[in-house]
Amino acid sequence: MKLELLPSKLKTPDTGDQLVSQGQKRWRSLRPRRLSSQKMLILTLQYGAMLLLTFIYLFPLIYLINVSLKTPADFYNDPIGMTRTFSIGNYIDAWNQGSFGDYIFNSFLYSVGATVPSLVLTLLMAFPIARGYIKGSRFWYALFVVALFLPGSLIPQFQLIFHLGLYNTQIGYMLLHVGAGPFLVIAYMKHIPRELDEAAAIDGCGYFRYVFTIVAPLAKPILVTVAIFQLIGIWNDLIGPTIYLSDQSYYPMTLGLFTFFGNFGNQWTILAAATLIVAAPLVVIYLVLQRYFIEGAMAGAIK
Amino acid sequence: MNVFGRRGFSVAAPYLGMLPGLFFFALFGIGPSLATIVLSFTDITGVPNTPWHFVSLDNYYRFFALSNWRDSAETLQRTFLFSGVSTIAQNSIALGAALLLNKRLKGHLALRGLIFMPVVLGVTVIGLMWSIVLNPIGGPVSTLLAALGHDSTLLGSYKDAFPLVIMVNIWAYIGTAMLIYLAGLQGIPSELLEAASIDGASGWGKFRHITWPLLTPMVTINVMLSVIGSLKDYQIIYVLTNGANNTSVLALQVFNSAFSGSQQQGYASALSVLQFLMVLIIALLLLAFLRSREVKL
Repeated sequence: MKLELLPSKLKTPDTGDQLVSQGQKRWRSLRPRRLSSQKMLILTLQYGAMLLLTFIYLFPLIYLINVSLKTPADFYNDPIGMTRTFSIGNYIDAWNQGSFGDYIFNSFLYSVGATVPSLVLTLLMAFPIARGYIKGSRFWYALFVVALFLPGSLIPQFQLIFHLGLYNTQIGYMLLHVGAGPFLVIAYMKHIPRELDEAAAIDGCGYFRYVFTIVAPLAKPILVTVAIFQLIGIWNDLIGPTIYLSDQSYYPMTLGLFTFFGNFGNQWTILAAATLIVAAPLVVIYLVLQRYFIEGAMAGAIK
Repeated sequence: MNVFGRRGFSVAAPYLGMLPGLFFFALFGIGPSLATIVLSFTDITGVPNTPWHFVSLDNYYRFFALSNWRDSAETLQRTFLFSGVSTIAQNSIALGAALLLNKRLKGHLALRGLIFMPVVLGVTVIGLMWSIVLNPIGGPVSTLLAALGHDSTLLGSYKDAFPLVIMVNIWAYIGTAMLIYLAGLQGIPSELLEAASIDGASGWGKFRHITWPLLTPMVTINVMLSVIGSLKDYQIIYVLTNGANNTSVLALQVFNSAFSGSQQQGYASALSVLQFLMVLIIALLLLAFLRSREVKL
């Protein structure tokens, strides 16, 4: 590969190619220049591809909304056409018959109940490893890495929970989710200056007070990211509740919806409404916290 | 060295702080992981209060036994197919989408958010959403295929279920790979591309000789994540078909052997260990191959 680096001062002339690649603002400001027909074609193809992707990702949701607003009779007459009724009856039926009110409370309890202690434990594990304040901090780090690749732990976990008498208990299910991989937090904490520790120590600040009142606020961005991913992970867990919770009053949204599908067979209008009821809080959370999701996913793989 | 003191409580504090975390890690993390190997040599079941014994390698023999080998081989074949097709398609589409979004045309941020959304919606919502879309009686996909002359019961069809499951899996997880490729694209110095433009490089030439080589580390990460993830994944299959109609893979077989029917958890543990070895070997070989093709700037 032959590459010659240009001094950055040297500006490239405005070629048509750049007009396209450097985005909308530039394009607009230079509009008087006419794009060649070839560039127009490329631009059209690019927008076409974006539209296609939008369609592929939006279609299932739109179809579900459409179905959920139909009356059953309407649906059987015309399953794919635009809905002519805007009945929210399906939502009311799904909510009442599926007892989603209880499920949403359980989902909330499990997600928050396991994430909050996990966050505290992760903070307390990540800090000394990041700083080397404990003996063998490299060993501990390596151990966490190795654990990622070991065989699945599903079956012994089940035996353990069962023999501890925690099968079909809410606390047992939550306990399983306590603890999170400390990698992101460790990586982030390495950027917090060490001098802060020394200054705090000289001022007589104790270790735990320092970790909770100084380190935690400084590491807030990464702690929030880790917390959001764990919250969503638990909220969306289907296998765990299937294995550990047999009592329907303990079901979270996921298992509640899955069971609902088993019970309501082919009543597609109600099923669509139920699915949207479960999806709605996730979509809202995603819209509000999108930045954290996107940045977290990008950071998670690179570090 | 711990700056918070050299004596007494100050020295012990970091260790004390780590204790609860390590306790949970040992009890629910690494402990059960290792115990899977032990249980794979037993005939333990999930049925309470039944005695269990060590049975040596019986569970392993059972998987490879001649009478079971046809089933086992088919399961393995599907596992590789599921993983291979998912990985290749996910990465090709994700890379294409990342290159497209990196042009920063109008609406690129919204589309980026949309493609990542399934990752947030989770496997239950994705699976059930698609099972409604794939409704064989008058659903949109079934209607479209019927118009094209292909009548099918979709997820109920022995022939079509597995390709559909793979397609839903690809759809669901393109988002993560796309974001990693986007991060990689943003890390490519724009001077390089500008210099190439001055020298008269074509769009394809720039991709072939600058973008692609510099993106190879991201390819390694993404391919590894996809391969390992899809070899271990079974949840989307569980929701869509639960392995019916020729769609079961090794990971789903682990789950179903352990938690349904007679709950043969010893056998399931052995399958789990075999799965671990399979993932390990494939991952190491693939990593060596991908690393050898990476380009460092």
